Amino acid sequence: MPHRLGPMQTLPSPMRKFAESDVVDYCTVGVGSAGGVLVQRLARAGFRVVALEAGPFWDTERDWVSDENGSHELYWNDLRITGGTHPLALGANNCGKGVGGGSVHWAAFAPRFHPSDFRVYSEDGVGADWPISYWDLKHYYELLEREIPIAGPAWFPWGDPHGHPYGPHPLGGVGDVLVRGCTRLGIRTAAGGPVAILSASHGDRPHCIYRGFCLQGCKVGAKASTLITHVPDAITHGAEIRAHSMASRISVRDDGRVDGVVYIDRDGREQFQKSRAVIVSGYAIETPRLLFNSACPGHRHGLANSSGTLGKFLMAQAGNVVAGRFDELIRLYKAPPAHALSEEFYETDRRRDFARGFAIQTVGPLPVAFAKQMIAAMGAWGWGLRRVMMDYNHWATLGVLGEILPWEDNRVELAEEKDQFGLRVAKVTFNLHDNDKKLIEFGKNKVMEVMWAAGARQVVQESRFAHLVGAARMGKDPSTSVVDKFGRTHDIPNLFICDGSVLPTQGSANPGLTIQALAARTADYLIQQGDAIFFSNRRDLAEPRIRYDLSPPYTRFKGNPRLA
Amino acid sequence: MSRKSFPIRSTGGDLRDLDQPGYYPGYSTMAQQKSWDRATRNVVSQRLEETPPTHFFSPQEAALLGAVIDRVMPQDDRSDARTIPILSVIDQRLHKNALNGFRYEDMPPDQDAYRLGLKAIERMARSRFKQPFVELSIHRQELILKSLHDGKPDPEQAVWKRMPVHRFWALLMEDCVTAYYSHPWAWNEIGFGGPAYPRGYMRLENGLPEPWEKDEQRYDWNAPVDSLSELDEQGAPPEHGSLHGHGGGH
Repeated sequence: MPHRLGPMQTLPSPMRKFAESDVVDYCTVGVGSAGGVLVQRLARAGFRVVALEAGPFWDTERDWVSDENGSHELYWNDLRITGGTHPLALGANNCGKGVGGGSVHWAAFAPRFHPSDFRVYSEDGVGADWPISYWDLKHYYELLEREIPIAGPAWFPWGDPHGHPYGPHPLGGVGDVLVRGCTRLGIRTAAGGPVAILSASHGDRPHCIYRGFCLQGCKVGAKASTLITHVPDAITHGAEIRAHSMASRISVRDDGRVDGVVYIDRDGREQFQKSRAVIVSGYAIETPRLLFNSACPGHRHGLANSSGTLGKFLMAQAGNVVAGRFDELIRLYKAPPAHALSEEFYETDRRRDFARGFAIQTVGPLPVAFAKQMIAAMGAWGWGLRRVMMDYNHWATLGVLGEILPWEDNRVELAEEKDQFGLRVAKVTFNLHDNDKKLIEFGKNKVMEVMWAAGARQVVQESRFAHLVGAARMGKDPSTSVVDKFGRTHDIPNLFICDGSVLPTQGSANPGLTIQALAARTADYLIQQGDAIFFSNRRDLAEPRIRYDLSPPYTRFKGNPRLA
Repeated sequence: MSRKSFPIRSTGGDLRDLDQPGYYPGYSTMAQQKSWDRATRNVVSQRLEETPPTHFFSPQEAALLGAVIDRVMPQDDRSDARTIPILSVIDQRLHKNALNGFRYEDMPPDQDAYRLGLKAIERMARSRFKQPFVELSIHRQELILKSLHDGKPDPEQAVWKRMPVHRFWALLMEDCVTAYYSHPWAWNEIGFGGPAYPRGYMRLENGLPEPWEKDEQRYDWNAPVDSLSELDEQGAPPEHGSLHGHGGGH
């Protein structure tokens, strides 16, 4: 049987296999949102690339199901310790394992960050500035919106106004509630996107069938994950994706450069992949964990941690879910969970007593997730739980997506406990600060107001958090950041980080699109630098030329509409 | 030993031995299995047909947890043949030590948490009512469990000084609903569409049923008269941040 990536696409075969003794150009760790895009471009540009992935290489027809409980293996289920005043739920909440990483189970909202997100410290005196501006990333946003591609309105009014290559999706019952409630309060909305879900077929990927199982892995192949958008093209162009390979340590030479990655293969044996440079794309927990676990003489506190900021400034977004019960039927399980939003409260408003803002977005919990929300939001149990669940089809759910600022005490460290490979597991500490609490209180109340305005008879809410970024942030100053604006670590010239952990702030936009745009930019930089990365310690900070010739198939002839 | 306490239809009469509670009579997700993909059909059928034997819990622990589950996720209205297995699902998870990706720093490992929690519940029963938990009346069982739900264990128990009661409660409830609401009989009860690939949905707005779904036929019902687990408008617990791993995220 061929290896299936959706109903039409198959994995290119055979995949190149490098020999144990081969020294490759790049060994990358983690094939998620960032890793998939990065490896695809490096392979197209002719580099010899091995990508290690801790989880399996999914065959979507064989491994994925339209079932909540049956999708448990999509998540990073290995032990981590979580604490602080507001401990983050991990696992299914925000961490993927397997080729495609978290992009396999993201809801696929794909808004851009706003220009203000890159200047939070300058504009608001809190958080941090990025070492790049929105305008450095804009063309990468446009390019990735065409490659993925993104469906949404032709006119999106917030931030840097823009349009989306594919048309918007039809509204489901929850989107109706969002539009109705917001409209009654005079709040502008966008419907049918922006989401990384096909509203029309794209090459060998069918369009959406509105079955609502986005978070369980899209068997249809309509929702984008790098497993189906970029990884096949990477393999076609000679990259090796090595699944079931858990990186345990990055090897550092005496001259201060790295020379490969030690990993544990699917049979539990330790292996060493030699490479001329290493890129870590493990996301905001596994990336710092691997760098901490790679501590060695000269890097006692972890690799790339001379600043002491590795693992710090971890961010999650406020993700409070507001649920409203309506007299009429909603049937919230239909349509993608992500399909309508408002960014009307995204920017700092001087009339409010906090900096930055939040978005309002549809969410679509399936029965098990919804039952858990009712346990938390209503204290439901016993007969009360049975009763509220019998009304499942009468409820609609909207999410707050609120910006939480980067704080030094929100961090990833190593715990004493070890995992099945004998590696120390991550300990995650998360605390809310004053600005965060005020923002969440305001956002939560505003979304509850929207729900009442939409005609709900009862409104409840649950506190939770969404996404994970930061913990290896980029910056100009090597004493306060881990990597430079291209993801190169300040300390080690041939060690890079390319994933959500480099974000200095997070806005109130879902981070997936931004992570992929940054990965494409990092790839262009590496390609432009060529062999200098492998032999020189010189740090060239000139912006690379954007490479429009490295996109996956079917990108050509797509456009970014502008209705200015 | 099986003691039951039935909900009551408000127009009179117990709701007992039902093949299918809920407002969608005649609706069956399994009747649609021919339109599902094979992998999904296998996973759901297996859940329906196989109840794994108990490995992790001792017979005493299993009896006690079974009695607890009967109160926190009651199924007294369901006929014996249509009772959804919960205990065996929890047992299997703990037997395999299948984790959900994280552990709160103030919590013991899941396996220990269950053993500790059960021990505490049994001690609370004996200290307050001088009887094993499984022999208590349904109302007395609910009194003890309600005190855990409220985060105020009555009577106090040393275990709850070592393990936060609200986290144990969330662990227990989340495991129970994961078993119950992933079962096709529960999907029929609540009118959930179930698996939908490759067929998909076509009526997205206005809560309209697909051709194979059913219209809602509501009726009023009441929990058993002395039950403590009915919804309470003021019943939301204090906030403890996000307790679970899957909130139908963004």
